[in-house]
This record gives sequence, structure tokens and C-alpha cells, in this order.
Amino acid sequence: MSDIKAVNIHIAPGDTRPIFKQIVDGIRMEIACGNLPVGCKLPSVRGLAMQLTINANTVAKAYNQLTSQGLLEPKQGLGLFVSQPRQQLNLVEQQKRLDNAVQTFVNQVAYLDFEPQQILDKVSSALGKLATSSNNETENHE
Amino acid sequence: MSNNCIETYQLTKQYGKKTAVNQLDLTVKKGGIHAFVGSNGAGKSTLFRLLLGVTTATSGGAKVLGQECQNLSTELRGKVGYVNEEHTLPNWMTVEKVRAMQKHFYSAWNDNIYQRVIGYFDVDPKQKVSGLSRGERAGFNLSMALAQSPELLILDEPTLGLDVVAKQSFLEALMFTETENESTIIYCSHQMEEVERVADNLIILEKGRLRNNSAPDDFVERISSWIVDFDSKQVEKNAIAGLLSMKLIDGQHHIIAIDQQVVAFRQHLQLLGASEMHPMGVTLNSAVNAFLSKNHNVPA
Repeated sequence: MSDIKAVNIHIAPGDTRPIFKQIVDGIRMEIACGNLPVGCKLPSVRGLAMQLTINANTVAKAYNQLTSQGLLEPKQGLGLFVSQPRQQLNLVEQQKRLDNAVQTFVNQVAYLDFEPQQILDKVSSALGKLATSSNNETENHE
Repeated sequence: MSNNCIETYQLTKQYGKKTAVNQLDLTVKKGGIHAFVGSNGAGKSTLFRLLLGVTTATSGGAKVLGQECQNLSTELRGKVGYVNEEHTLPNWMTVEKVRAMQKHFYSAWNDNIYQRVIGYFDVDPKQKVSGLSRGERAGFNLSMALAQSPELLILDEPTLGLDVVAKQSFLEALMFTETENESTIIYCSHQMEEVERVADNLIILEKGRLRNNSAPDDFVERISSWIVDFDSKQVEKNAIAGLLSMKLIDGQHHIIAIDQQVVAFRQHLQLLGASEMHPMGVTLNSAVNAFLSKNHNVPA
């Protein structure tokens, strides 16, 4: 059995992001959702290129960017792995990203027929799930 | 040895009064897949004919793999493969017979590669060529072209008229067949979705001249798209910097421009009387379309 984790991403024709960016965003999302847990192995450059029917150099470019962003790490002779998350952003930048994300979220839910408290409950239960799953992750890892 | 697969200098080809290739200075590096894009009659096919040495230049010249293409040696001709959209093959022979015949013509023939590439297509060796579908013919031609282990492979609209399945197989075979030497592939297509997936480099020709020679992503980055509200004021097309196309839709101007910095262009539009403007994303398809359609209106 292969130790490679399947990557569930798709290249959308008509998407205005360049293909390498679609891959970067797709893999970030897979990591964030927990579909690609810390320490798991990614498809080879050629493998992912074949899966998506795109030029292998495009996959290499995306992998390079993810590696320099600290999300993936190469292990000599073994391949590319999802790395242990580490602090990459300063506090101001984190604050800014949080503000942006909250604003986007608020814009999307504002017109729905929910009381603010109902929305807050949903969010806090989702965050709760995230906390438990990441705890399990660390336990498994150690 | 030069690092370039193709070099042309002031290459010009005239047919009567019509100039098909116009003082073209083009350099194509060795290795990778280079997509040639341009409207019909942009000079792509003429350029390929010049590079293959089957027609002579009116002036200027070109080198292929370091040799003047007006007098390519037989040895060098063997290193250049060519597949066009017609997929011309002897109809009366079987697939196997054609393969056997081709094998004798090329000293660098590699049967492993042939088998690997033909494996992408469901072609029966005993089938007569006349009975092959368009997709099978294209696949068969590509198999033979790659089996010659060419240093340069020219594909002139190879996927024209192929169905989705055949097209997918063709692209996979093209990108993922390991060849003995790092082939340089020249690939001409009107399908930007395909180009975006396949090409390392985007070469745009317009009226026989070179208009772009860079990675597709870098080209798209030069193009920006905006929806602008000029509050029903009249705006002269000539007044907008770098304008490629402008359409009036529901009272708003949809603008595509080239080589404009976001902040500076915003100020520029405000000075022209814009009250509101929204930057929009651009796909390779819309970028190339806008780029080429502008040049249609400009007198040469």
C-alpha cells in the first residue's frame, strides 16, 4: 500500500488564479481541514501533475512555495511531507487576517435568519471540534 | 553548444504582397513545452515551414539546433519531428506496417517510447490506417513522432477536432512520456485552457511579429481587468492608458488594460472622471483574447 495521502484538489477552467496558485490554495485548504495531517506524505511532483493533467513544473512551483511558507518540508530521498505548524506571522499580521476572515464571514451570514447568539454558538462549537481534533493529532504524533 | 533550440534573426517571408513572417527575432530555449498562439494568419504555420526548411525565407534567417534551417543536414532533419492537424498517413497500410516502415527511417527510433505513448490510445496494430478515428490517428502520429527521440518536436494544432477523451490522452502522452533526451516541444493551439495546463512558455505572434515570449502566468500578470463607473460621462478610448478592450455593459465600462500598476491606474481612471472602479480577475483566455483583439484594430 502506498504511504502517499491522496490530495483532493481540482483545477477549475475559468478560475482567474494561475494554476500553481490553485494548487497552493487547495493544499492549504486540505491541511487546514485536516485531510492532510501533520507528517503525511504528499504525491510526487510528477504524480500530482498526472492526476491533474498539468505540466510538472507547475506542481513543482506550487510545492516550492508551500515549502518556503513552511507548510511542507522535504525529507532527503523520501519525498515531501506536511510539516509541524510553526509561527510564521507576527501579531499584527495575524490580527489583520483574523479581522479579514471575520468580516468575510459576517458578510456571508448577515442576511441569514439567525440570531447573533445562534451564530456565535455555531462558531464556538466548530472551534471546539478543531481544538479536539488537533489535540488528538499531537497525541498521535508524540 | 548554444542553449537555444531555435534562433531567428530578422526572419521574413513574403507571399506576393502579403508578409506572413515579418522581421522576426525569436529565441526558444532548449527543453520544455513552448506554446505558440496567434490569430489565424499570424504566421505560425509559415514559421514552422521555414524552421523545417521546406520553404525559403525572403530575407533574414533562422537556426534550428544550431544549424541554418535553409540547409539542414539529413542527420539534423532526423532530430526534428513534425505533427500537424491533418495527421497525414498512408491509408492503405496497417498501423503495424507503418510503424515498421518508420522504424527503418530513423536511426534514433525507440520502440519502448512508441509502446508507452501508443498505450495511451486504444489502437489495434492490425487495423488499417483508413479505419482509425481522428483521435487514434493523432495518437498514432504522436507515438511515431516521440519514438524518433526528436530533439525538437513541432506540433501544429495537434488536438484540433479531437473529442475530450482523445484530447486528454494526447496531452497526458505528451507531458508524461519520458523521452531519452530532453526534447523541446513546440506546440501550437488556439485553446488557452490547454495551453495554461501544458505550456512552460507562451509565445504570441501577431501579423508575423513576436508579441510575447514569457511564462503564461507572467503574461497574465501584465493584464488587468476593471469594471468602472464613469457616471455616464463620455470617455475617449485613446485617453485610457494601456487599453486593450472596453465594453459598455449596463452603464458600466468593462476595461481590460496592459502593463498598468494598480494604484497608478486607479488614479488615472479617477482623473478621467471615474466614480467607482472594481478590479476583476483575468484568465489566460480573456487576457490573450483582449491582447489579440486590440491588435486587430491597430493598422500595421
